[in-house]
Amino acid sequence: MKSFLRNWLTPPLFNNDETKTRQAFILHYILLTALIAPVCYSAVIYFQSPEQIERALAQSIVSEFIASLIFILTRKGYLRTAAIFLVGFFWLLFTVMAFARFGVRGTGFILGHATVIVIAGALLGGKGSLAISLLTILTGGWFAYLESSGQRFVGVAPNPSQTVWLTSSIFYLIINVVQFLSAWTARETFKRAPTNEVQYRALLENIPVITYIIGLGNEPVIRYVSPQIEELLGYSRDDFMKDPGLWKKLLHPEDRERTLSESEATDQSDTTFDMEYRFLTQDGNTVWIRDKAKLITADDGAATHWLGAWMDITEQKQSDEQQASLISALTRRAIQLQTAAEVSHAASSTLDLEPLLATVVELIRSHFNYYYIGIFLLNEPGTHALLKAATGEAGRMLIAEEQKLDVGESSMVGWCLTHRKARIALDVGEDAVHFKNPRLPLTRSEIALPLISRDAIIGAMTIQSELASAFSNADVTALQTMADQIANAIANAQLFTERTQLINELEGRNAELERFTYTVSHDLKSPLVTIRGFLGFIREDAKKRDMKQFDADLSKIANAADRMQALLNDLLELSRVGRITNPPRDLPFEQIVQEARDLLAGSFHQSDIQVAVKDNLPVVRGDRIRLVEVMQNLLSNAIKFMGAQAEPRIEIGCTGQDSNGMATLFVRDNGIGIEPQFHEKVFGLFNRLNPNIEGTGVGLTLVRRIVEVHGGKVWVESRPSAGSAFYFTLPVSASASAEAAN
Amino acid sequence: MIGEPILVMLVEDNEDHAELVIRTLEEHRIANRVRHFLDGQSALDYLFHRGEFIDAASAPPPHVILLDLRLPRVDGIDVLRAIKEDDELKSIPVVILTTSEAEKDVAKAYYNHANSYLVKPVGFEEFKKLMDDLGFYWLGWNTHPHLKE
Repeated sequence: MKSFLRNWLTPPLFNNDETKTRQAFILHYILLTALIAPVCYSAVIYFQSPEQIERALAQSIVSEFIASLIFILTRKGYLRTAAIFLVGFFWLLFTVMAFARFGVRGTGFILGHATVIVIAGALLGGKGSLAISLLTILTGGWFAYLESSGQRFVGVAPNPSQTVWLTSSIFYLIINVVQFLSAWTARETFKRAPTNEVQYRALLENIPVITYIIGLGNEPVIRYVSPQIEELLGYSRDDFMKDPGLWKKLLHPEDRERTLSESEATDQSDTTFDMEYRFLTQDGNTVWIRDKAKLITADDGAATHWLGAWMDITEQKQSDEQQASLISALTRRAIQLQTAAEVSHAASSTLDLEPLLATVVELIRSHFNYYYIGIFLLNEPGTHALLKAATGEAGRMLIAEEQKLDVGESSMVGWCLTHRKARIALDVGEDAVHFKNPRLPLTRSEIALPLISRDAIIGAMTIQSELASAFSNADVTALQTMADQIANAIANAQLFTERTQLINELEGRNAELERFTYTVSHDLKSPLVTIRGFLGFIREDAKKRDMKQFDADLSKIANAADRMQALLNDLLELSRVGRITNPPRDLPFEQIVQEARDLLAGSFHQSDIQVAVKDNLPVVRGDRIRLVEVMQNLLSNAIKFMGAQAEPRIEIGCTGQDSNGMATLFVRDNGIGIEPQFHEKVFGLFNRLNPNIEGTGVGLTLVRRIVEVHGGKVWVESRPSAGSAFYFTLPVSASASAEAAN
Repeated sequence: MIGEPILVMLVEDNEDHAELVIRTLEEHRIANRVRHFLDGQSALDYLFHRGEFIDAASAPPPHVILLDLRLPRVDGIDVLRAIKEDDELKSIPVVILTTSEAEKDVAKAYYNHANSYLVKPVGFEEFKKLMDDLGFYWLGWNTHPHLKE
């Protein structure tokens, strides 16, 4: 109850609205007075004029009721309505009272209306009090007229003087209260006015926003800038005020143009300006600013100046940038991982080196949108690397041109192969590199990555970009991981290829061995059959004492034994070719030919064959004794199968040399020739085309074996009665090869 | 069979072996006639009346052919194939007589319709026994198809 009463006795507060609170304050106390006044009035009447108490009580109750209603309106916040009601009610009350009693001469009219005018002034302002005053003057005039014309107020006895005094006192009190309240609120307002300005200024100059007022036009004058500017840019507000162009100078070079043009455009077209740009501070740092301004116009609508604020958004920008770079890094990483996964996939799905490398370079190029990717593989001695796979038309041409890069410091790839480390070259900064490959004119940065598998360097990969600084140290780790996978894939493919070759070779050897065993068992058995068979005949010859037949049969046995021995010798010779090899030497082939001819001097002498040795014979590399054997066999065959040739002729020469350093040599005769179906068969072990011509049939087998041991091959071109040409390839000595290449 | 002279074609590049065959066959007086060819090409020339055997009368078809496998120029298997692919000649029994015991050769011979495959034995008695049996079987017991001369 107490708190309820206190609550009702305290003037209402309206947050955020000082004027309203002040008005409610005045209303509240006037109403409280108005609630107390009728009680006092009734008391006065009761003691002074008891005969009028009923009328006074009725007036008081009505007053109390209406005052209560207005009190509630006030508390609810309908202040203006409450004020109008209050003023109106009082005015009516006193007018009715005056009309009922003494007219203009009553205390109610004189002081009551005066009180209402004062209240109206306090609550409704000057206009309110003027309106009430005019209304009162008119009513007073009408009352005076009524009295002078004798219609009313004639012969009314005035109140006793005590009543007048008491009533007047109440009015004086009310006027005093109103006066006090008005004076108090006025004082409050005056008291607070200067405090507010200081506060606003303090607020403006302490908040973390720089406010400014700037003029219009191309060279706008700064009229105000809050002092926080110094903290942000290092220049004081005075610097800005003295040099109106300073803010332009401080604009970040990259932002200057767009900021100024936007600013000028906004001057003419817009009423708000909102932009983010950078300032350079006095100590050279960069700060990001959000500039938000409003165009202020004068009463006549003409624009006068901009009112704006600069907010420091550097941190926000930095975090945005960090986030953006983080996202970009993550995206890159994701692409790298995806590419790595696809590279692994490609690597595991093919063991064929060429398609593998082609797939890998294209995968990397398309995923990262690089300009060019190339993979170099180290050659056998490790002196240079050869381009094996590359992207695009440039890549195709460079591969066709057999692009070679020496191990060493002369190229990125060469450096990378030497140091087994990745290297970046950029077309920017102090160490700017200028890329000169005419096939790759757009390259502006390059990274070379070593391809290392099982601790062995097998090559390098170059990645090139059209951007000046496409590669960072962060990229190296990721790209190197990928390069390692590629290296392993290459190594696997190489191992697989080697393995396949080895298997093929082994299968070939196996087949050869099988053929050999078969041939040997067959051909060695033949003389045995002869020997044992004729031994039986000899026994029978002896029984018959047929000495002639005995001798003939015996010589057959001897021949068969000789033949067997020859076969065994040849076999032994053949097996030696593969097992015992003399260290290879550089041998002028002319010398080989001469040695072979010397060994066959007897046969040549008998047959009167003309031998032509071309002077283009190369210096070959190999085992001298074996190569002499090759020539000896080929020449001896040429002599044996010359047939009845009128002008027997043998030609020895060289048709040239290929890119692998193999020279093709030939021995050509104009003898009986060989039918096409026997061109392969002649090289088979113990294959003899003509049983009437002496020999075991091992000669050409031996030739083939020796040539193959030297890494070459042998074949025959021939037609019956048109002569034969035996061709064979042999490695040319390295120095001779280099000379030929130059 | 009685009274009809039997003609044997022997295709053998090893003259010693040919002599062994002919002499062992002759001793038993089984073979009336043996014609020996040193290589596959001349044997085919005889059978197909080519080259020096263009005159069909001088080259009557043999009743049995003894064929070695390893021959110069045309191989034994090629000779066999040529015979067995010819409508006239394919009815002539072809007996392979070779030193090879290789399964591959045996299989290849029968695949190409050889009628028998014999390996030359090492040892006179064995060789003689084989020729004996061969003579008795192919030239004695065996009934030959009638061949046009």
